[in-house]
Amino acid sequence: MSPTSDHAPADRPVLIQFHNVSKRFRLDRQPMRTVFDLFARLLRRRSEPEYFWPLQEVSFQLKGGVTTGIIGENGSGKSTMLKLVSRILEPTSGTVAINGRVSALLELGAGFHHELTGRENIYLHASLLGLQRTQINAVLQDIIDFADLGPFIDTPVKHYSSGMYARLGFAIAIYVEPDILLVDEVLAVGDENFQRRCLDAIHRLQARGVAILLVSHSLNQILELCDQCIWLDKGKLAAVGETRSVVRRYLAAVDADIAQQLLDENGQRLLADDEQATPIDQPPRRWGKGALRIDQVQMLDEECNLTWSFNPLATVYIKINYHAEHPLAEPIFSVLIHKLNGHYLWASNTLDHTVEPITWAGKGELTVCVESLALTAGRYALSAAAYTEPDPPHWRSPSDFHEQLYEFQVISDHEIHGDIVMPNQWRHRTTKHPSLTLPDIGEGIVTPPVMSGEVGRG
Amino acid sequence: MKVALFYSAQERAKSQRWGIRLRELFHYRELILNLALRELKARYKNTVLGFFWSLLNPLGMMLVFTAVFTVFMRSEVKNFPIYALCGLLPWNYFSASVMGSVNTIVNNANLVTKVYFPREVLPIAAVLANLVNFLLTLIVLFAALLLVRAPFSPWLWLLPVVILIQSAFILGLAFILSTLNVFYRDTLMVMDVAMLAWFFLTPIFYPLEDLPRSYPIGDYVLDLHRTMYILNPMASIINTYRDLLYRGYRTDFDFFVRTATTAFLVLVVGYWFFCKYSNRFGEEV
Repeated sequence: MSPTSDHAPADRPVLIQFHNVSKRFRLDRQPMRTVFDLFARLLRRRSEPEYFWPLQEVSFQLKGGVTTGIIGENGSGKSTMLKLVSRILEPTSGTVAINGRVSALLELGAGFHHELTGRENIYLHASLLGLQRTQINAVLQDIIDFADLGPFIDTPVKHYSSGMYARLGFAIAIYVEPDILLVDEVLAVGDENFQRRCLDAIHRLQARGVAILLVSHSLNQILELCDQCIWLDKGKLAAVGETRSVVRRYLAAVDADIAQQLLDENGQRLLADDEQATPIDQPPRRWGKGALRIDQVQMLDEECNLTWSFNPLATVYIKINYHAEHPLAEPIFSVLIHKLNGHYLWASNTLDHTVEPITWAGKGELTVCVESLALTAGRYALSAAAYTEPDPPHWRSPSDFHEQLYEFQVISDHEIHGDIVMPNQWRHRTTKHPSLTLPDIGEGIVTPPVMSGEVGRG
Repeated sequence: MKVALFYSAQERAKSQRWGIRLRELFHYRELILNLALRELKARYKNTVLGFFWSLLNPLGMMLVFTAVFTVFMRSEVKNFPIYALCGLLPWNYFSASVMGSVNTIVNNANLVTKVYFPREVLPIAAVLANLVNFLLTLIVLFAALLLVRAPFSPWLWLLPVVILIQSAFILGLAFILSTLNVFYRDTLMVMDVAMLAWFFLTPIFYPLEDLPRSYPIGDYVLDLHRTMYILNPMASIINTYRDLLYRGYRTDFDFFVRTATTAFLVLVVGYWFFCKYSNRFGEEV
């Protein structure tokens, strides 16, 4: 359930405004640290330092009462952005305007002093956020109640469990009456009960008009909590807007990245393993020294494009290029699919599906058509094996075995549970209750989104 | 207090106006108190006597001085333990504050990189904690003064002013050194040695008058006594403490003003230097 923007009316004030904000870091800062290096630099001609831009030309504005998620790969500038909002860093160019008190849940309890008690740390931490003693006294009891530390409140925090530590940090951050709350990957701490209370607290802050900036790798959490979403890609603003559509575009881009990566890696893997001198005992590996060799394994989609990325229930072609060093009477080929963790899912071979009997010699190409890939979203490994003759029951002496050598992914923008997908339909019919006479409204068919074969992606 | 803060590379200059900075600093006064308190509490945590150590430490020192300077090496100076303590206590305040604040930004990296607050709060709190400690040790000194019936100067009311002047000087130095230490960690190592040299260059265990008035260096005759006064503010400050506490003298006015001017000049320069670079602390520590 996403809190809609109804508690974010248009007349809320703008609390955060980024205008063309760029931030630059120097890459070679480390060698400058000592006097020796300083002299070394003075002697040498000063070389042009290398720079790194974690944020480039970012502009947006956030209003009170709106919760904004920030998504992006590691190193895309999410944390830099939060640090700019909290004034820990200053922009290299552009303007950051902040209107109100910023409270950060960056690392729960980062500023705690181990020797001080929980209560003393509350005073220290709250004053760190700019509160005066009277203001702290006013919220002290709320913080203690929320953190639920009982008698431990007057114990030095070094004796706290990590959960207690996090609870106290969270309690302080939300009770200092922030106008802007920054949350960086911290909602995953604590037990189920505490997480629930954290979410409740965040909902309360949302309703009170606090602007919340949330960084999380859990897209479900982003979808659940955020009204809008910022997608950062290598320091640039890739998209801002309604959470669902931004997340969908982000996922599509991630999948495309992985698809490209798989294309590159699977191509290289065959070469690398072919040259491998010593066999390894864990898949992915290639083994078998027979006369029938597999030269290439590829996966093709419906339109015969080379790809390693499919939707559930897609039509998939697996193409095997082989060569036989001498004519063979009854060679067998098989393909297998495992989960990446090694769990065996499916196999098919030419013994069960008789291929027209020919003399197998020289080079050839074999294609298996999987009409409907019944797998849910995830990463899988494809194997291909060639046998010079049938080798039942265990098929232990392959001529060439590319064992879990190829990785492919199944992607879906709908969450599907379980391991497999089976096309199905639901029917609904009202039955007349004996004592009530309801009009017969007839039959209805409810079709869930994943049912049809063409699960498209935006 | 809700303040609209607009900052950027261009507008930083605006926000660096002293009025705004000082007002913000004042807003964080609670933090200064709490950080100083944290430092004091942490110092005496897990000690049986706790805060009493602030009193016991100078008491112990006095016993040692009395033993050493009345038995082993007799000094010309009357009431030598008191004389030495009048110099040593302000010196300890100075030395502990400076050494404590050099590292304060780096040691609090977990705060500096996680939360925004005016960074000058850290050295101020370090100095404040040591000031509290110093004031406690003064109790012992006054008790000792009563014990030996030393004459109290009618100008004793100047003592808080002298402490203020010394604190200003320390704070200025703390600002400069803690900033330098962020960029060059060598500062701490250098200061270790420098403080030792400074200790001996300051008339703590010897009267400043012992220094030669004329010390020939080649053709030039150096008034070492005078040079020391001019170049070493700590010498002047400690001499003022002695005037008021040990000698019962009103202290020289022109001399007093000059010391005060030096101290506050160091404070202003130090604060300016600190503010100039403090916006980079978040990425440098």
